[in-house]
Amino acid sequence: MSNVKNIFLVDDDPTFIFLTKEIISTTNIETIIEEFSDGQEAIEYLKKNFDNNELLPDIIFLDLHMQIMDGWEFIEEYILLESKIQKKIILYIVSSSISPHDIERAKQLKVIKDFIIKPLEAHKFLEIVNSLSDVYQTE
Amino acid sequence: MELSQKDPLQSHFNIDPETREELSSIFHNAIEAVILVDRNGKIQLWNPKANEIFGWHKEEVIGRPFHELILPERFQQEYLQITEKFININNFININNTYLETWGLHKKGFEFNISLGISPTKFKNIFYFICYISDITSRKLIATQLDRQKEFYENILNKLPTDIAVFDANHKYLFVNPGAISIEEFRKYIIGKDDYEYAKYRNRDISTADKRRAQFLEVKNTGKEIRWEDSLADPKGETITHLRRMFPVHDEKGVLTMVIGFGIDITDRKIMEVKQALLVEQLSAQNIQLIDFCNIVSHNLRAPLVNMSMLVELIEKTKDAQKQKEYISKLKPVIDNLHVTFNELVESIQIKQDLEIKSEHINLNNCLQRTLNGLDSEIIKSGAVFNADFDEVSSIYFPPKYMYSIFHNLLSNSLKYQSPKRKLIVNLKAIKYNNKVLLSINDNGLGIDMVKHKDSFFKIGKVFHRHPNAKGFGLYMTKTQIDAMNSKIWVESTPDLGSTFFIEFSNQKS
Repeated sequence: MSNVKNIFLVDDDPTFIFLTKEIISTTNIETIIEEFSDGQEAIEYLKKNFDNNELLPDIIFLDLHMQIMDGWEFIEEYILLESKIQKKIILYIVSSSISPHDIERAKQLKVIKDFIIKPLEAHKFLEIVNSLSDVYQTE
Repeated sequence: MELSQKDPLQSHFNIDPETREELSSIFHNAIEAVILVDRNGKIQLWNPKANEIFGWHKEEVIGRPFHELILPERFQQEYLQITEKFININNFININNTYLETWGLHKKGFEFNISLGISPTKFKNIFYFICYISDITSRKLIATQLDRQKEFYENILNKLPTDIAVFDANHKYLFVNPGAISIEEFRKYIIGKDDYEYAKYRNRDISTADKRRAQFLEVKNTGKEIRWEDSLADPKGETITHLRRMFPVHDEKGVLTMVIGFGIDITDRKIMEVKQALLVEQLSAQNIQLIDFCNIVSHNLRAPLVNMSMLVELIEKTKDAQKQKEYISKLKPVIDNLHVTFNELVESIQIKQDLEIKSEHINLNNCLQRTLNGLDSEIIKSGAVFNADFDEVSSIYFPPKYMYSIFHNLLSNSLKYQSPKRKLIVNLKAIKYNNKVLLSINDNGLGIDMVKHKDSFFKIGKVFHRHPNAKGFGLYMTKTQIDAMNSKIWVESTPDLGSTFFIEFSNQKS
């Protein structure tokens, strides 16, 4: 049984969200997936529910190029919010950008666990979930 | 040397032997030629130095006219005039000796520089001239060399393209070159004076003098050089910048002897610096655009490709026919999206490359009408009102393709982001200044938070409102087209009040 129950997909491309959910479902890991079409929707949800661990995610998969509030802006706001949140949330960037500029910028941010270049493949997803489960077991 | 029996000292003057010997010694060993001339100009005495200087032996000259023998003909008259004066004076006590620098004539016929002192005297009531002569050829030579050196250094100081001022320890001027003060009269006046006296003399404000005094004191008190830049407007109103330095000069005991100030005109360098800064700014702006462009290509093209490959993989893996159908139906919108994105990117690359695009005079009313016709259905739906004031400027010189695109993008934005609270009103106005035209397009729509979006306003892929047709490409295209024509676009906006776009069209031929 996985410890990962809640996953946020923050991406403005409905096709990509649909496909990622399909891929996650092929891994047979049971999770609740919340979808957000841009950074602002996601940050507003987090702000509203910062003290409700049940509603908070274990993992956020964050796209960079989004309308209204892009991934970078989301990260800025998230950092301000982080101290208020009790739950351990792991943030991944999932972007179709292969720009070294973006990748380097993400590396500079402690809050970002990794930069995943799209697509998010099944084996990568399993790897992430397993690594988190390991962490929880040893704690 | 013994005086001969014919020696006039003996024959003419009845002097006791002891005094005579002393005089004789002085006469013979004098380092100048000493020649005694009678009132008729005839040489009476001729010492060994005279022999050395002129080459004549005393036996050859005694009794011969002084001036004819040792002065070149052209100077003889002058000598005679002087001696004439003396002869007519009886009382010699208050008469100064006459001293002149002139030319002497050697026995061998060459001329050379001499100093000639003439003093009238009387021995036993007989009138004589004593002439003292030195060969000053070498002195003249040194003097000439010194003059030349002085001229050389003055020439350098005066012609250096810098201004130089030298002050004494009390801030009084010791020297200024024409670079510092071009008018000779003022240059002469200032020597020995300070900046306050000069400011008064020239009827100038003393603030400059205050500043200079403070700088002088800093140098004097710290013993260290100071540097600064001065910018002044020249009579044509152009800014002239000088790099100035002031440094102390101390003697071997460490006492301040003078302070030297000089300035170099660095206006050209300044202009270059400004140009370079501008260039760097332009280049970094272009670089940012390139990075944006790279990101957008990387993202906008890769995104649909990733989706396609994921779909294909899922189609291959699934055995469920219903699922397969669903996946296949998702392919078409992805491919359409790829198509649109690809076309947009090609279009914006074309703007950057199309440097030869031709400008034309575009009638603003026609352009507006054509744009509104294209947006007909949206306008009817919203009941929007468009007011145009193109009285002052009726046409703009610009590539028609870009102009229509700009109008379409900005007006369709106004329609797209109108406020649901009120009917949309759009005001357009064009005004002219210098050779530029400023077009403003103002609406009462949703407005944009300019603080938040200041840097990203015209970036590709940026949208500010949730709208099904917001793709973030229009403003990027508009900006690219305007930049390509060396014109400018900017925006002022307040959320919930509206936005005003300003476009400054450059190079407008009248």
